[in-house]
Amino acid sequence: MLRVILFQQWKGSRMLLFLAGLTAFAVPVVSASTYSWRAQSSWDPAGLLLFGYAVGFLYPAIAAATGLIVAVTAWGPDHRGGHVYALSLPLPRWRYAGLRFVAGVVLISAPVFMLAIGTGLVALTAPIPEGLTAYPVALTARFALAALVAYGMFFAVAAGTTRTAATILGVMAGLVALQVVLTAFGARVNILGGVTNALFNWPGPFDIFGGRWLLIDV
Amino acid sequence: MGNAIETDGLHYTLGRGFALEDVSLRVPVGSIYGFLGPNGAGKTTTIRLLMGFHRPTRGAIRILDRAIPRELPTVLSATGFVPERPHLYPTLTVAETVRHHSAFQPRWDREWAASLFRRFALAEDRRVSRLSKGEMGKLLLLLALGQRPDLLILDEPTEGLDPVVRRELMSVLMDYVADRTATVFISSHLVHELERFCDWVGIMDRGRLLTEMPMTQFKNSLKRLRLSTGVALPDAPFELLVRERAVATAGETWLVRGWESSMTAYIAERGAEVREVIDLDLEEGFVELLRSFRVAEQDASSKET
Repeated sequence: MLRVILFQQWKGSRMLLFLAGLTAFAVPVVSASTYSWRAQSSWDPAGLLLFGYAVGFLYPAIAAATGLIVAVTAWGPDHRGGHVYALSLPLPRWRYAGLRFVAGVVLISAPVFMLAIGTGLVALTAPIPEGLTAYPVALTARFALAALVAYGMFFAVAAGTTRTAATILGVMAGLVALQVVLTAFGARVNILGGVTNALFNWPGPFDIFGGRWLLIDV
Repeated sequence: MGNAIETDGLHYTLGRGFALEDVSLRVPVGSIYGFLGPNGAGKTTTIRLLMGFHRPTRGAIRILDRAIPRELPTVLSATGFVPERPHLYPTLTVAETVRHHSAFQPRWDREWAASLFRRFALAEDRRVSRLSKGEMGKLLLLLALGQRPDLLILDEPTEGLDPVVRRELMSVLMDYVADRTATVFISSHLVHELERFCDWVGIMDRGRLLTEMPMTQFKNSLKRLRLSTGVALPDAPFELLVRERAVATAGETWLVRGWESSMTAYIAERGAEVREVIDLDLEEGFVELLRSFRVAEQDASSKET
């Protein structure tokens, strides 16, 4: 069962996954090449770190996009068919959702693998200055975890009904509207900042997307 | 013989405008049950309840002697289903779709499915999104039959198909039913088509099951009578469904249920003459029954107001 679900999900998302994988491979390789071209002969540690910060945001962005792509393509065809096909299969709904989830996790491994190749290639071939170290495994593991977190969140939303998605969007829109109203009345309450802090700082679920995403670090 | 499908007092509300009310079906094992009704009568909603897609707000469902939704997976493994609208994955080819489907079906019969594949002459490598209506109809029936089901639930399976494909699908279906004691529950607008195949009929309108009975009984019991004049009917031995004045004469036209030829004497005793007794086919019977139901409903609501 997992094999056929995996095949169906792969067939529906292969182009987007290929693009995600290509980007995941290209970001470390192209950024290393660009820095190398800019730096001409020798790599300056401080300059390298600054350049790393500048392009580092791309890793969590690709991880989030990968999670989104896999989650949306996992449920998209079922949504379009009103879930009629899935519901007519002789297996419990939780098991079907579980199979879809596992298939998505397997698919996420493709861009992760491509990133591992890209970071590994840079770590092996780049003239890393003394005092700095390449962390291809750590960056790849972090990327994998971030992609899984994004996938888990988008999968849960995509698995729900349109009403669920609308409720979530409604809550978000409500918070923004409330912030606008409070600000207009001069209230010094930062609701959006509080929510963002709670979500993106430890122990928030999206803490993994923040911080330094450096392949080459001290 | 028991019932393949049994529902007791099903109620379900769909939005504000529509509700199923007290639908109690009895579909005998081995029957080909035609489920008729105009658009919006509640046929598809009933089928969605039977398939466990929705839960009824009240009432109970038993299919193949098992309770729905508690034993749904077991029931679905023995039930072939063709939905009203195609629902398959558009990126898969025909062969991939069959492989995908068979992986979930514990009773899937590869050889039988392969023979159906050949019979339907489906192109293995054609994408589902590129199938014609006829090809899609064939593929859906193949998927429904491949597991050699004990029960087939078909929601408008021939809707929009040309007569050649329609006949082909129905012929495969009838062959299957003839070979095996399977029950078929089929909804359709094509009343004349069901008349040829079905041995039971159930009629829905406005969320209610108006009647269900063997096809022969349905056709035999409904008659249109032309009478010389209108008469009063105390304790009539038949059920008068519709009564209309003739346009040009003093006579009346009646639609009756439970008519027997000996009952002409009853009419004669009341001073009228039965000039003509007209047999109705399924379509006429269906239309007249709906009309009588709606007239009765209108009368009841006007009395209330």
